[in-house]
Amino acid sequence: MHVKKYLLKCLHRLQKGPGYTYKELLLWYCNNTNTHGPKRIICEGPKKKAMWFVLTLLFTSLVCWQWGIFINTYLSWKVSVSLSIGFKNMDFPAVTICNASPFQYTKVKCLLKDLDNLMEAVLERILAPEPGHANANATMALNFTVWNYTPLVLIDERDPHHPVVLDLLGDNYNGSARGRVCNAQGCKVAMRLCSLNGTVCTFQNFTSATQAVTEWYVLQATNIFSQVPRKELKKLGYPAERLILACLFGAEPCNHRNFTSIFYPDYGNCYIFNWGMADKILPSANPGAEFGLKLILDIGQEDYVPYLTSTAGARLMLHEQKSYPFIKDEGIYAMAGTETSIGVMVDKLERKGKPYSQCTMNGSDVPIRNLYSSYNTTYSIQACLRSCFQDHMIQNCSCGHYLYPLPPGEKYCNNQDFPDWAYCYSALRRSVNQRETCISKCRESCSDTKYKMTISMAEWPSESSEDWIFYVLSKERDQRDQSNNSSISRKGIVKLNIYFQEFNYRTIQESPANNIVWLLSNLGGQFGFWMGGSVLCLIEFGEIIIDFLWITIIKLVAFFKSLRQKQAHARYAGPPPTVAELVEAHTNFSFQPDVADPGVYVSGQALPIPGTPPPNYDSLRLQPLDIIESDNEGDAI
Amino acid sequence: MAPGEKIKAKIRKNLPMTGPQAPTIKELMQWYCLNTNTHGCRRIVVSRGRLRRLLWILFTLTAVALIFWQCALLILSFYTVSVSIKVHFQKLDFPAVTICNINPYKYSAVRDILSDLEQETRDALKTLYGFSEMKSRKRREAESWSSAWEGTRPKFINLVPLLFFDEHATGKVARDFVTGRKRKVSGSIVHKASDIMHVHQSNQVVGFKLCSNDTSDCATYTFSSGVNAIQEWYKLHYMNIMAQVPLEKKINMSYSAEELLVTCFFDGVSCDARNFTLFHHPMYGNCYTFNNRVNETILSTSMGGSEYGLQVILYINEEEYNPFLVSSTGAKVIVHQQDEYPFIEDVGTEIETAMATSIGMHLTESFKLSKPYSQCTEDGKDVLVTNIYNAAYSLQICLHSCFQTKMVEKCGCAQYSQPLPKGANYCNYQQHSNWMYCYYKLQQAFVREELGCQAVCREACSFKEWTLTTSLAQWPSVVSEEWLLSVLTWDQGQQINKKLNKTDLAKLLIFYKDLNHRSVVENPDNTIPSLLSNFGGQLGLWLSCSIVCVIEIFEVFFIDSLSILTRCWWQKTKEWWARKQSPRCPEASLSRRGQDNPAIDIDEDPPTFTSALRLPPAPGTKMPGTPPPRYNTLRLEKAFSNQLTDTQVPDES
Repeated sequence: MHVKKYLLKCLHRLQKGPGYTYKELLLWYCNNTNTHGPKRIICEGPKKKAMWFVLTLLFTSLVCWQWGIFINTYLSWKVSVSLSIGFKNMDFPAVTICNASPFQYTKVKCLLKDLDNLMEAVLERILAPEPGHANANATMALNFTVWNYTPLVLIDERDPHHPVVLDLLGDNYNGSARGRVCNAQGCKVAMRLCSLNGTVCTFQNFTSATQAVTEWYVLQATNIFSQVPRKELKKLGYPAERLILACLFGAEPCNHRNFTSIFYPDYGNCYIFNWGMADKILPSANPGAEFGLKLILDIGQEDYVPYLTSTAGARLMLHEQKSYPFIKDEGIYAMAGTETSIGVMVDKLERKGKPYSQCTMNGSDVPIRNLYSSYNTTYSIQACLRSCFQDHMIQNCSCGHYLYPLPPGEKYCNNQDFPDWAYCYSALRRSVNQRETCISKCRESCSDTKYKMTISMAEWPSESSEDWIFYVLSKERDQRDQSNNSSISRKGIVKLNIYFQEFNYRTIQESPANNIVWLLSNLGGQFGFWMGGSVLCLIEFGEIIIDFLWITIIKLVAFFKSLRQKQAHARYAGPPPTVAELVEAHTNFSFQPDVADPGVYVSGQALPIPGTPPPNYDSLRLQPLDIIESDNEGDAI
Repeated sequence: MAPGEKIKAKIRKNLPMTGPQAPTIKELMQWYCLNTNTHGCRRIVVSRGRLRRLLWILFTLTAVALIFWQCALLILSFYTVSVSIKVHFQKLDFPAVTICNINPYKYSAVRDILSDLEQETRDALKTLYGFSEMKSRKRREAESWSSAWEGTRPKFINLVPLLFFDEHATGKVARDFVTGRKRKVSGSIVHKASDIMHVHQSNQVVGFKLCSNDTSDCATYTFSSGVNAIQEWYKLHYMNIMAQVPLEKKINMSYSAEELLVTCFFDGVSCDARNFTLFHHPMYGNCYTFNNRVNETILSTSMGGSEYGLQVILYINEEEYNPFLVSSTGAKVIVHQQDEYPFIEDVGTEIETAMATSIGMHLTESFKLSKPYSQCTEDGKDVLVTNIYNAAYSLQICLHSCFQTKMVEKCGCAQYSQPLPKGANYCNYQQHSNWMYCYYKLQQAFVREELGCQAVCREACSFKEWTLTTSLAQWPSVVSEEWLLSVLTWDQGQQINKKLNKTDLAKLLIFYKDLNHRSVVENPDNTIPSLLSNFGGQLGLWLSCSIVCVIEIFEVFFIDSLSILTRCWWQKTKEWWARKQSPRCPEASLSRRGQDNPAIDIDEDPPTFTSALRLPPAPGTKMPGTPPPRYNTLRLEKAFSNQLTDTQVPDES
């Protein structure tokens, strides 16, 4: 009861508003609003009124439309880009140096002995197909365990309808190929990859024998090296003191101890300068070659594994501190016998994360486990793609590929334990589907740093200085490492200068194009432009709507009341009401027609006061009495 | 009284005279100022004191001026662009890669055609520098080239004589290489025979003279070095000769794809000559384009790195090189879009032999906004120059097409190194005897931008750019050289019948460094909504005005004021007419005043208390004797004639 009274009071207070009918409310609103259009509607004559009504409606819809556009623009999370170029004191990039050959041939010779013998035999067969050649007995000495897993075959396509497949070192080769000299036009060398104990086989075709034998050799070598533990492999590669002969950073001397060693399966031991993992990061404050990194390397070309790599040179890559160097993708070559000067400009792109773009800040929200995190390196898209590949490899072939890091508890593929792996791997590698899933899963990193390089080359050392430079360098190396006795020559020596250019950075930074201030000022601008409105006008409008609702509620209440009374009325059987009664009933809800027999009157309903009609002055109102009072107040204003 | 009625009454009270009913402009203005939604005007009317009113007028006018200024700035800066740089990571389309041997035609095949020219070049070298024999080329010695020389008359030298100028002597003296005859170049004849062997003196230059048909108009081209002079001279004649050779024969004389490409590897899969399309370039002979096959899907890369790119080993047969046309050995490679024309001579990257050239690519796409933001063109259709290349529009294509078209116009024939426009022929001496002179003149005019090509041609709106990082390494390495060369020889098979040398081979690796590609996109800085909202901001800030106010201003200052003016004018005419009809009634003008000002005393009426004492009329009371105010009936909506008759009624009565 208490609550009802309170609510009623509230209702009355709210109701002390602009009017009691919709029309009054609207008139009041139009007259008093701060929005520009509605006032005109009521001030003007009938024709102008119509015009202003149409105009106001038009402007309102325009405002709504434009607001829609702005809110849409805001929700599209656009970014604007700011670009800055200049020179500043920056951290010198991390420099990774590798030798193009992963291992020293003198050290891996024993491991690769069988394979090399096979390779020589294969080459001999291909180049000199005439049988009955001198070293038939040499073929017997070959170790065929390696060969039998993935043999090379010769496909004779001179008869295009019946291609003949011949095992290059097989027993039937001599017999069937006798008298047929096959060259590159007629015959193709292919690799036979089998799975399920040799029951399902495919031939990987090559258009040239060079590729076929190279691919074959790399596959077999992978198989061999994957069985050797990583620690042993590190010893087989080029040691730092053999590779790095001299080092100078700015004016400060440095040596091979300033480099962090890392084992990169493609290139063996790689050495990273200024990686920033353990040591302090070195800054460079000046542009120019004098203040950069100067290196002299010896790649030892004579000690290359002959069949594994045909390209000789140093591999080099500049990258960010604490990021893993993917040298095979982004590295460049430095040629032996030359001085390579590299001017560096840091091209940095910093992006906003969600919701502006799909990039990831640290890779933690990417659904692929980063296998390179064991190196304590930061996330990069390459790391993600390779981890993804390794995941697929383990799923499909149940062993990991030698080139990528292993997840815990898995093993690298080799022929003994996983005889089908080569077949599985080559299928997976060519699978477009696999790559596309990886691409869709991996997301790029938000900050992306590229090092733009301006590369120039000159011959080094010059002919006149050649003698003393070689002498000094070999003397120095002998002091460090007695075991090595190879001489330093033009074929192995590489000089590198890496330095900042005059403008050493270009930073592209994203910032939100449309912030909330932008949105509000545009919304305000639109509302102001068309209708001269503001937020207060919106509040006004809201107020009016509340009033509107009140009026509706009050009307509904009255309507239902009348309905109930009418029902009560209907139950009463008697003569039809007279016109006067009807009028009375219409204007006064408390009115009950006189009845002939009051005894029939339904119990529970108050008896009307007989003879005296109810007060008629508020007959236009459906409200209870106290509201009428407020009306009187309104009149007084 | 119902509240609705009350409000209406209040409004009526507040607005006694709506717009057009105001009898004078002044009242209209007052009404406007009091009732407008714009903020400044009201202050003007409400303010008391002249200074304050003046200040408010000043403020309002300043605000209006500021609005105009700011809005003008907004409109002027409407067509600006903002640049956004986006990075995408996705599968990338591999670009088309065109590979050419630097030497266009196999010298053994083309020798028959060029033999005369070669002889004359050698002879010129001999007479000028005393150079007689090419020791480095064994094969040259085997062929007796000097035997044929004796009988024939030099035709090339006569057409375009190579001259040797001696600036050291007084006046310019030219010496013909072949005949040794002195030619007068400018004025005086020098009798002293200059020694040919003194070429090495710095003030002696070599050049050639180009004359038009009548020989009266000549241009001399001099070069500081004989190397340049002879190469230019040779090239000129070479183009002349090659222009007459049919295309099919030229293709046969050049290298075949099988010959050029020893091995090919793309994305871990073998490829061969069938994956390449032939593209015949006039100056580079047969070029082969990878990933440009019609009706085939464009190859794409889904991994970065050299393994997943294109790896080819090229056979550069150095023995077949033309000694005078090209002086460097290697191949040229160009990375371009599939529908783009490869301008090998302009933008190619050169590849050395006995080297592995590794080219890492990085893709940047640029999109510009065309008109009205900038002058770029989407597809070149709106550029006046017809595209003679069978390729997508680019600025370079436009410039070359423009030059070629001008060449055909001016010289009557087309230049050899560019495609033929419709209905034109390549230049040669037989048909166009003075084309060289014409060509050189035109070339100079082109460089000096006199042909208008640079003005007509516009840049393309979108382009893809591959940033290349090139690095070199020795290939094959010392230890792998032996086996590699023998296997490659086997691969090459019957194409050549000798063992390959490493200086005949070049390895090329082209790959995406990573799959990030940047796109630089121009966006319109302003849109219509933002412009309008900026307008709204300005209007609101200075005057709290909106488009409604603008309509109001239009309504009041144009429609209402005009209607008042028209009414005044109409009444004046009517009066004048009435006076003309009845000149005896001069008081008619007074009654008009009564209409303008209801407070005025009208003499005809008998003086009342107020009028007699000349007191101001009591507020709210109607003036006795004045016609009842009919203003409310004057609605703008009604036709003016109706209203006028209404107002006329009290006048007449």
